[in-house]
Amino acid sequence: MTATFDATDFESEMFDPDAVEMIPATGEGKPDHYPVDISTKAFWGQTSEQREETFKVLRHEQPVSWQRPVDDAVTPDPDDPGYWAVVSHADIVKVSRDNDTYISGQGVLFDLLPPIFLELTQSFLAMDNPKHDRLRKLVASAFTPKQVKLIDDRIALAAKEIVDDVVAEPSGEIDFVQKVAKVLPTRIFCDVMGIPEHLREATEKNAADIVAWADDEVLAGRAADEVQVQAATNLHDIATELIELKTAEPSDDLITSLINAEVDGRKLDEFEIGSFFVLMAVAGTDTTRHTSAFTVRAFTHFPEQKQWLMEDYDGRINNAIEEFVRYACPVMTFRRTAVKETELGGQKIVPGDKVVMFYPSGCMDEKVFEDPERFDLARANAKDHTGFGGGGVHFCLGNQLAKSMLRALFRELLFRIPEFEAGEPELLGTNFMRGVKRMPFRFSLEK
Amino acid sequence: MGLRIELDESKCSGLGLCEAEAPELFEVRDDGSLAVLDATPSDEHREACEAAIASCPTEALRLVES
Repeated sequence: MTATFDATDFESEMFDPDAVEMIPATGEGKPDHYPVDISTKAFWGQTSEQREETFKVLRHEQPVSWQRPVDDAVTPDPDDPGYWAVVSHADIVKVSRDNDTYISGQGVLFDLLPPIFLELTQSFLAMDNPKHDRLRKLVASAFTPKQVKLIDDRIALAAKEIVDDVVAEPSGEIDFVQKVAKVLPTRIFCDVMGIPEHLREATEKNAADIVAWADDEVLAGRAADEVQVQAATNLHDIATELIELKTAEPSDDLITSLINAEVDGRKLDEFEIGSFFVLMAVAGTDTTRHTSAFTVRAFTHFPEQKQWLMEDYDGRINNAIEEFVRYACPVMTFRRTAVKETELGGQKIVPGDKVVMFYPSGCMDEKVFEDPERFDLARANAKDHTGFGGGGVHFCLGNQLAKSMLRALFRELLFRIPEFEAGEPELLGTNFMRGVKRMPFRFSLEK
Repeated sequence: MGLRIELDESKCSGLGLCEAEAPELFEVRDDGSLAVLDATPSDEHREACEAAIASCPTEALRLVES
């Protein structure tokens, strides 16, 4: 079964009715591109610690800087004049919360990607209100604290079984990503969506491919746009199969709810459910996966934090998780488009300007976080991080689910594996997701 | 002096961060809308209430002293 898409697929009213007319970006009246350049492929090939050195310079010198278009864009646009880079915590919050000035409906990804890919993948991520809320509310009720609590036991059991497999490994060494980090969020996401066993591996694989458009290993000689569109199409195919399955046999899961949902008196079509599915497959499997990997690595560098957390796990884990997310900050960039003239960080922003937020820089902003390089689980304002975004209507929908998974996973890891260390992570090459492809994890069950 | 919680429904996106902070005061209903369970909470709830309001990413909640 192969899904194909043509122009008529995009005429579905959910995608276009009150979209703001596309305003072309202009290079007129802009300053020269700022000499501290964060658009190079080399910059995004660095580690986050190295990138932070550059973000720090920008935060001090020019918190809102005019930058040339990103290097090696998947779909280069010769008319693209560049973008404003927003790196301070205060400005990220400002842009995130002013959804009338900075809109998402003209794209939210930093890289320049094929339009067909955006249609296939973004759903309400790239919509503005009122459309955004109408769609998002269809799924929001599945991610509230009450709903997440209902599946807490299932999450705890999954975490336990995953760590059972780790401790059974006689060599005392595993690849943390393969054996732990990717397993838990994939399993829980598939449970919530109602994905049967035979479709799970393909779901995980395609969701991982989608964010790896700039990683040479994942691409393996294929063109980035080809890999992306293929992965997105594959996920749409999986969604189509799920819709057939769940229409025949409804059950208590999110796909069934989406099939039955009505927006403004009309049901979602297959394509809309498919786009929802792609967005959530990526958001639900990749982010928590990378956060858990970076957290294990952080515990290796700051072993005293492990001890401190274990002294009162239940009392301390919630704040600790906020610090996990601040420190890992897996989603690195999202873009907005200005639709009103405004001022930001001393710069004049005009309609059509692209404005890109760099979340890891917000998480490391020394004006907000004292000694930001320290992994400090007792940090009083850890929850002010920008890892779930800077607020506003696009704030991370799955944050409660992510927290529940991290809570369960680290309870098992810390209490059942007294000694562990994470080796050097192999990083994903991308300007979107701060990801780990592989990371050795060595452990001992004896203290 | 009593406390009163004001909800701006046009801003609320139904995420439930307030509910995570103060489940005795807030609940996101199945349709994604927010129910304020007690709009005039007693003073003992003040701290939880303030945390809930501060946690709202869309600034849909306000606490007024009446």
